[in-house]
Amino acid sequence: MKKFLSNIKKYYKYAIRSAKAELKSEVADSYLNWLWWIIEPFCFMLIYVFVFGYVFKNNTPHFASFVFVGLTAWEFFNRMISGSVKLIINNRDLVTKVYIPKYILLLSKSFTYLFKMGISLLITFGLMIFQGVTFSWHIILLIPIIIILYILSFGIGMILMNLGVTINDLGNLTNIVLRMVFYLSGVFYNLNERLTGNLRFLLLKLNPAAFFMNELRNVLLNNSIPDFLWLGIWFIIGLLLCLIGIHMIHKNENSYAKVI
Amino acid sequence: MGKNIAVSVKNLHITYRGLKKTSIRASWTKLKNKVEVFEALKGVSFDIEEGKILGIIGKNGSGKSTMLRAIAGIFSPDKGSIDLHGHSISLLSIGVGFNKKLTGKENIYLSGMLLGFSEEEIQKKEKEIIDFADIGNFINKPVKTYSSGMYSKLAFAITAILETDIMLIDEVLSVGDARFKEKSYNKMKSLISDDKRTVLIVSHSLGTIKELCDEVLWLNDGKIVEIGKPADIIPKYEKFMNEL
Repeated sequence: MKKFLSNIKKYYKYAIRSAKAELKSEVADSYLNWLWWIIEPFCFMLIYVFVFGYVFKNNTPHFASFVFVGLTAWEFFNRMISGSVKLIINNRDLVTKVYIPKYILLLSKSFTYLFKMGISLLITFGLMIFQGVTFSWHIILLIPIIIILYILSFGIGMILMNLGVTINDLGNLTNIVLRMVFYLSGVFYNLNERLTGNLRFLLLKLNPAAFFMNELRNVLLNNSIPDFLWLGIWFIIGLLLCLIGIHMIHKNENSYAKVI
Repeated sequence: MGKNIAVSVKNLHITYRGLKKTSIRASWTKLKNKVEVFEALKGVSFDIEEGKILGIIGKNGSGKSTMLRAIAGIFSPDKGSIDLHGHSISLLSIGVGFNKKLTGKENIYLSGMLLGFSEEEIQKKEKEIIDFADIGNFINKPVKTYSSGMYSKLAFAITAILETDIMLIDEVLSVGDARFKEKSYNKMKSLISDDKRTVLIVSHSLGTIKELCDEVLWLNDGKIVEIGKPADIIPKYEKFMNEL
């Protein structure tokens, strides 16, 4: 753990710089440049609103904002998980040529995802104002929710990153799981309304994506207090996963270069 | 000074096995199968004094590059130990961490920070690097627009100017056009003849080794055949290679 902290301290500047570099290079060649970061999520939201709000007649209040909050949380979670599986292999050049604590790669990636989530949140606020959602102090609770979401995804990410080096088809597996989680999370429908009893509990509390989505909606759209007990539980799970991930990476990272 | 040991390698073993690439299906069926083990290094021990230049020779697959990478910290030894006595180290490798869509300048920082230098240190050396790379206005253009020669020149300049106590060089003395080659060769010579800098060179060019190195280590099949003065070792090595 000490080693982890000193490594983070030593390399976080690099992580920030390389995250910036990646963001820059992502849009370097396109005409609309950074506008894509806004246009892309916005268009996805329009598609979902059309299909699930209009075609399927969903009458959740402030449906566009509802979808967008869900998408914001989902996109971050999804990117962290699917991005981490092939992270080491995609950075082959780097890994085989220089020593760098491998979680720094994930840290740097996570910064780019956080940045995109930030943009997404700003659009959400815009949309909420546009749709006349009333803001309340509950909005501050956004911060702890996102921090816990970050810790949890970072932990899962580190573990997948380590396993992804040796298990070739982990990527296919996570794709399926992620797709399943996506449809079960209620990005474009309200789990609270559609399900009851144990199944609702199961899908809403034990599926992290759905849980975080739901809590974000609670504090942003419903002006209510999040479920602190479950937030605490996910926080502890997240920390445990991080510890396991750090341990796995410290143990194996020096052998990655031999495998890829 | 001069008597301090810069690198001590003791009984270094490296095997390619530990993590074997596998698929989920294979891991069900292959559990009983024995994993094949390839021993790249079988117990290598040596010390290098500070300021010395060590050349490493040997035929292909004898473990030279593996050893350099282990010393650089990219692999961990399976057995034995490597002690750098607190010196900073870098493996001189071309274009680590380059992002091809970004400008040369931005890549200097990316690559430099990856090698463990702070932003301020790089800032101080930035001009020197740009001058040495000598690629004119291209420094402000995306790296993907570079010719392969310019690319190597920039990459070489970064690693050559950002100096570490111990340098590991793996066959990169020939980049760029003739003029740059001479310049980089001279830079290399001045870099490595600094008395505080310890250098390990892997090369197949015996001429280079003869000219630059104080000592030569001959590796064969993961073991040291001999270590000593270039004048003694190189003739034996040449004879050995001719007999193959």
